[in-house]
Amino acid sequence: MNAEKTSDEQEVLLESDEIQGNILAGFNKDHQTLIALGIGDLPAARAWLTRVAPHISSLSEVAQFNGLFKARRRRLGHDPVGLIATWVNIAFSYDGVAKLKSAAIAGQVPDDAFKDGLPKRAASLGDVPTGGATGTAGWVMGGEGRVPDILLIVASDDSSEMALLADQLTPGTGDLGGAPVVLWKEVGDTRSDLPGHEHFGFKDGVSQPAVRGLLSKSPDVYLAVRELLPPAAGAISFATPGSPLVWPGEFVFGYPSNNDSDGTAVAPAPLPSWVRNGSLLVFRRLQQDVAGFAGFLRASAAALASTSDFPNMTPERLGATLVGRWPSGTPILRAEIKDDPDIAKDPQSVNDFLYANDSVAPRFKEGYGTAKPLPPAKGDPNGFVCPHAAHIRKVNPRDQDSDKGDQFDTLTRRILRRGIPFGPPLPAPPGGQLPADDGVERGLHFLCYQTSIVQQFELLQTDWANSTANPKAGGHDLIIGQPGTPIREVELATSVGNSQIVQTNRTFVMMTGGGYFFSPSISSLQNFLAVP
Amino acid sequence: MKVCLGFAFPGLPIQRMEREVATYTEFNAPGNNTDFAGQPNVAKDWNDQMSYIFGTSTTSVSAYLSKHGGGTCQFYNPVTQGRAEPDLPASVTDIPWNGFPKKFDSKTPGQAPNYVGAEGPVAAGTNRNQDEYLEWFVVQKAGKIVSVQFTCEAYDYFQFLASELPAKVLELYQTYISPQVTMADLFPNGAGTDYDYLNKWNTELGAMHLTHPANNLFAEVFLAASATVRRSQHGAEITQTIPLIKCSQYGDAGRNSDPAIGAAVNGLARDGRYVTIADPVGLYMSGFNGAGLTLNGNDASGFFKVVRGAFPMALRAIYELTPELQAQGLTVSDVQLNGKPLSYGGQLAERITMHIAGRATVSQNLHNTPITTCGSVPQVKPPQPAESSAKALLLSSR
Repeated sequence: MNAEKTSDEQEVLLESDEIQGNILAGFNKDHQTLIALGIGDLPAARAWLTRVAPHISSLSEVAQFNGLFKARRRRLGHDPVGLIATWVNIAFSYDGVAKLKSAAIAGQVPDDAFKDGLPKRAASLGDVPTGGATGTAGWVMGGEGRVPDILLIVASDDSSEMALLADQLTPGTGDLGGAPVVLWKEVGDTRSDLPGHEHFGFKDGVSQPAVRGLLSKSPDVYLAVRELLPPAAGAISFATPGSPLVWPGEFVFGYPSNNDSDGTAVAPAPLPSWVRNGSLLVFRRLQQDVAGFAGFLRASAAALASTSDFPNMTPERLGATLVGRWPSGTPILRAEIKDDPDIAKDPQSVNDFLYANDSVAPRFKEGYGTAKPLPPAKGDPNGFVCPHAAHIRKVNPRDQDSDKGDQFDTLTRRILRRGIPFGPPLPAPPGGQLPADDGVERGLHFLCYQTSIVQQFELLQTDWANSTANPKAGGHDLIIGQPGTPIREVELATSVGNSQIVQTNRTFVMMTGGGYFFSPSISSLQNFLAVP
Repeated sequence: MKVCLGFAFPGLPIQRMEREVATYTEFNAPGNNTDFAGQPNVAKDWNDQMSYIFGTSTTSVSAYLSKHGGGTCQFYNPVTQGRAEPDLPASVTDIPWNGFPKKFDSKTPGQAPNYVGAEGPVAAGTNRNQDEYLEWFVVQKAGKIVSVQFTCEAYDYFQFLASELPAKVLELYQTYISPQVTMADLFPNGAGTDYDYLNKWNTELGAMHLTHPANNLFAEVFLAASATVRRSQHGAEITQTIPLIKCSQYGDAGRNSDPAIGAAVNGLARDGRYVTIADPVGLYMSGFNGAGLTLNGNDASGFFKVVRGAFPMALRAIYELTPELQAQGLTVSDVQLNGKPLSYGGQLAERITMHIAGRATVSQNLHNTPITTCGSVPQVKPPQPAESSAKALLLSSR
């Protein structure tokens, strides 16, 4: 063992040939097809799984490619042309595992939400009214009675390569009769006009936790590159500025997870061996009302600008206030009045801010960091700049306490997001006019991985985004919050004691389908689920 | 106070919350309950008791700061020391926490909360092991849950009430716990003396008010006051939640509540603000999330009823079916959460948000030096107030 290492860096070796690649490394592709499948005939389903299994992309493969891609981009100054990869991952619902093996085995995946399935949890999440007559019947996929058994993910840098492989893997004439049937299929693409941005126009996926663990030993290769020196005793460790290190057990079964009091490692609970190296996948097909959101921002900003509290409010600033970031991804805590895209381009600053306290200047290891770093960001404990109800503050309160605990507890709520937009962008009309809805559906394929849907994704949605009180008082998350009340609101507080409450009776993000799945290890797929 | 100003697309108003000044003429009963209605002497005694608690807190913190060179006490009594300057918006100084005890919550992925441990039966003379200022009692009959009682009323309030209005205490028990409760059950040595706050109706058979030793108003106020003391270690001010509570020792680091209250108050103190707790002082239920609760496919969130106070200052709530549904043989055990029958009261408790309403001045004029000492603030009691409430004060100081 290297004597120079600190205890902070003594980490587990990830079984990178076992863990599916999208979980910890992320495909990060411009094109992604989701294929929902239903199992009919079991032998045919197993035969199809056996055919698909060799295509499943591992953490090792995806991480190596991502590293190569980044290295080439760093050298070239732009995305490398011709360097493409096409990846495949697979996940199973409770029903899917139960059909392939048994209900008892499906029940070994330790999460009540997974066992229930998304339709049963939809009312708790605010996706449908509690006790409503229609329930999830209107969803395009995944509603009650239509829960897919399998979700196949095919992603590529090249849309034609993706389509080719997706077609090849789709059960068809080459498979045994009774092979899984396609229940639903949809392509997601990054926006060609604004790559990396969702349809409201905001950069997506900026903040992700850095997962601890080694891809290889001797030499040690960390999954998350460690640019920073270990912190002071008792403080959270970061891999890069703003990316806290989280133990892999929060995202993959069989590894140490985070102690919710001090961030130290907690040994994994005993699990059946087939669950090890697996992860829980949440998929939500979120439709976005882009024109409605733009209209709301414009009207509400005008009303706020007519007050003495927010005389300089603009639709762009209100949008950034409600999201917590400007469209470029620049955090509003680093640019309060207007967007500064240069900050978004600076990996050292775009994510480096806290809420309860001022951030501290990062201490880089030799060879990392820039010569002229931006000053540390000021904290905003009272939410005067970034309201407590701002989307990014709601779902990740960072160093600010929540109703569930302090910053170390919040680390146990983190998820790994792997979303991609679907549908074409809504064209912006010339001259700053409000866009009109064109009747074309668009939105986000929201995907995230974790080891507890109950304590991670569902807590973020139900306890925080849907609540006016949690994690701190100040209103709903107006982006994804769905409290089940006719009106949603955000309080914009001022440092002189007044505040303005912005309200809406419209929902700008609508749930239209999804599911809860288990993404098994590659050997569990091959040697357990695909065999009788 | 909300003031309508304009209309936002598609036609909803924005509203202005006007700033307020936390100056009160008196302390009112928790949740503005009407227990003292028509009893001005009792109301005065309650005001005296609360002022005494605030006085003890400010006196203690002042003495501690003086001893350690920490400057001026930033905590104040809003009745006797009311400040003229406005406060921050109330939402900014609102401090929420989850009502289900952290110590029984799940620690590792996939592990369910320890509901059984959290709501195990307690015998008369012992307290419930629920330490988030919310306690609950599951009423069962023939193995089915009939109702779940929730309370966040501090025991020192009931001790006060028992010393002043024993008949009122009996009335509350008979209203909310059972008509069978007798004066002798509550006052074994005679009405008005030696209120047995861990009597069987508040332990074995119900939850009238909080029982955990930490769950009292004195502790709430003293914690908030103690948390205004700024601390430093190794040359740097302590700003993190757990290190703060471990150094300051104003509460239990293993809870949702105490660390959050202390850290929020300390943050306001670090900003140079004066801090207090809004009247009426209490630890309240501010909301209940009933989404996903169904009975025979219908919304069952409405069976959660606040029966003393009102959100966001709810003191007591009960989850039970209507008499009509109970007559049909239905029970709370027939209610489903996410499609599965409710089995524990804790499943409802973890959907309750608790809070205290802090207040802090807009002005940031007080810049105390963090002290380098760790340790709790010792209690220094000011002179006793009116004779009439001395008995209650002695009871409340545990």
